[in-house]
Amino acid sequence: MTRPLHLFVALTLSAHAQTDPEDLLKRAIALHQAGDIPAAIQSYQQYLALRPENPMALSNLGAAYARLARYPEAIVQYRHALKLQPGNAPVELNLALAFYKTGQTELAAATLEKVHRAAPTELQPIKLLAECWLAMGENKKVVALLTPVAEQRPADLALAYQLGMALVRDQQPERGQILIDRILRNGDSAETWLLLGVTKLTARDYPAALADLAKAVALNPNLPEVQSYYGQALLRTGDPESAASAFRKALDANPYDYTANLQFAVLLKEDEKFPDAVTCLRRALQVRPNDLGARYQLAAIAFHEEKLDVARRDLETIVKEAPSFTEAHVTLATIYYRLNRKPDGDRERATVQKLNAEAQAKQQQGLNVK
Amino acid sequence: MSALRACLIAAALARSAAGASPQACAPCHAAETAAFAGAAMTKALESRSTILRANPKLSLTLGPYSYEIANSIYSVTDGNETLRVPIEWAFGQGSAGQTYVFRRDGKWYESRVSYFSALHALDLTLGADPSPRTLAEAVGRIAPLREIRQCFACHATNVSRSLDTLVEGVQCERCHAGSHPMKKLGALTTEQQLDFCGQCHRTWSQIAANGPRGIANVRFQPYRLAGSRCYDAADPRIKCTACHNPHRGLETSPAAYDTKCAACHAAGQCKVATANCVTCHMPRLDLPGAHQKFTDHRIRIVRPNEVYPDY
Repeated sequence: MTRPLHLFVALTLSAHAQTDPEDLLKRAIALHQAGDIPAAIQSYQQYLALRPENPMALSNLGAAYARLARYPEAIVQYRHALKLQPGNAPVELNLALAFYKTGQTELAAATLEKVHRAAPTELQPIKLLAECWLAMGENKKVVALLTPVAEQRPADLALAYQLGMALVRDQQPERGQILIDRILRNGDSAETWLLLGVTKLTARDYPAALADLAKAVALNPNLPEVQSYYGQALLRTGDPESAASAFRKALDANPYDYTANLQFAVLLKEDEKFPDAVTCLRRALQVRPNDLGARYQLAAIAFHEEKLDVARRDLETIVKEAPSFTEAHVTLATIYYRLNRKPDGDRERATVQKLNAEAQAKQQQGLNVK
Repeated sequence: MSALRACLIAAALARSAAGASPQACAPCHAAETAAFAGAAMTKALESRSTILRANPKLSLTLGPYSYEIANSIYSVTDGNETLRVPIEWAFGQGSAGQTYVFRRDGKWYESRVSYFSALHALDLTLGADPSPRTLAEAVGRIAPLREIRQCFACHATNVSRSLDTLVEGVQCERCHAGSHPMKKLGALTTEQQLDFCGQCHRTWSQIAANGPRGIANVRFQPYRLAGSRCYDAADPRIKCTACHNPHRGLETSPAAYDTKCAACHAAGQCKVATANCVTCHMPRLDLPGAHQKFTDHRIRIVRPNEVYPDY
């Protein structure tokens, strides 16, 4: 008789241990800390089935998903946690990071702005916000955000790098150079060569940019954006095949690299690989939702695929927003002629002629001044 | 079976044996193929250059570099070192000139010097680097694979990614295959035809968006034509084939084009002349470095000392 009794007691204890919520949570945390993420997720889920309103457990489950790069599932948990505990800064920070990782850069930036407003001196949200704005091409915002912070922390090279990048991209090479020099004093680094390369790329000195960016790639091929800029320099110096390879590497490292997506899409479009090009352009638009360049390329692909009305509608919107976008007027004129809308085609063609004349006059003026 | 279908099958069968040559189409289109045999476009690309066979040794010195083409071997020397490569392809049939393409270390190159018919000699290739810093740069310009494919796509027929199936020169199938079947080519609208011929001769949209600007675009006829005041995308009297028969060699007599102008312009409209309209209204302009005059297809009243009208 004793054996069945022991078994009963053991079964009861075991069932109690598995269903005791606090034990489940402790076990989940222990597994999480030990790095057994799939088991931790299972335990968090078991716990949350019993205690669904615990924001800490929800947040932890989100973090566990994020560790496995399951960002969409992480976002669901973080959002749930924030509904229960609004304004929880660490959770908001994690949510922003998950948004960033899934290419929802605008949402990430908006979340980080909120965190930054609540704790203006916290450095981590500042750096992450700067990263988001850099990805979105909001260079002026980065300069405004980081200038005072970098002044207070001259030894922080990561800050100097972000601010330097924003200044260089915002056509402020002199201010950028001060920061490049500061980074240089700490030795040769991929970051320095990347900044130098971007400076030269912005100044349209493409062969020099290529040399600098090649050094950056040699030192650290995984530095964020390095392959993307290297690809641009290769493209500008007439090596589209190597450029395509660099863009592919950039996208392997970060599928939401705006520049790599846009430039690679243009190459794919030239090869008439339209579905792949559209995928890249949609990702570029996820990072910069209103980006005219990506929208124009999508319209141009629609035109190549003979979807004339789709292309026309999109291009009409684009030229309304950007009246001096010559290429968009060019394609629109061609579409109007294809649609037998001669007066509209003539009007667009006249606009192109006017824009080109203005551009050449400006160029000539520049030459005269020099 | 329809006559057209029978013709296409016959052409396909012949093509598999003869390789997209006019002979494949001749059984059904004898007149067109006979005329086309003499068209310059058919010789737009040669693996064995007629010009180089007629000129067994060509040489030129440009700054510190000396060039020689002998027996289809292209040599460049700076006095200390000499680079030699066999020429694989000759681009251009020689009405203006011929440029050479070769491979070196697995990369395609465009020769830095070209043969110019007006000079009967070599000179700097149009657009080539005027001052190379090294012997390797002096050999020529590296042409990226996608660019070289475009070159072949216009100068040859049946071009695939590997170039294995390539047939030299523009043959029937270059225009009559693919998305524009034979029966539809003549029926293209003016705008569609400009875009079609512009695949190689450059469309208005290509040049308007990406240049080049100024006199350098005088050789891009569809672009120039579209800028004419009388250009009307809906009017068939101004499309490419209204004046040119692509199956024949280029008509060079100005008088031959008068009837084309008269299709729109009444006799007596011009107060200066009654014939040879194109000599004034489509002037032949010098393209610096090309050693060749190009007929400007931007039809207009040319004013004295006019600035080259672009856009």
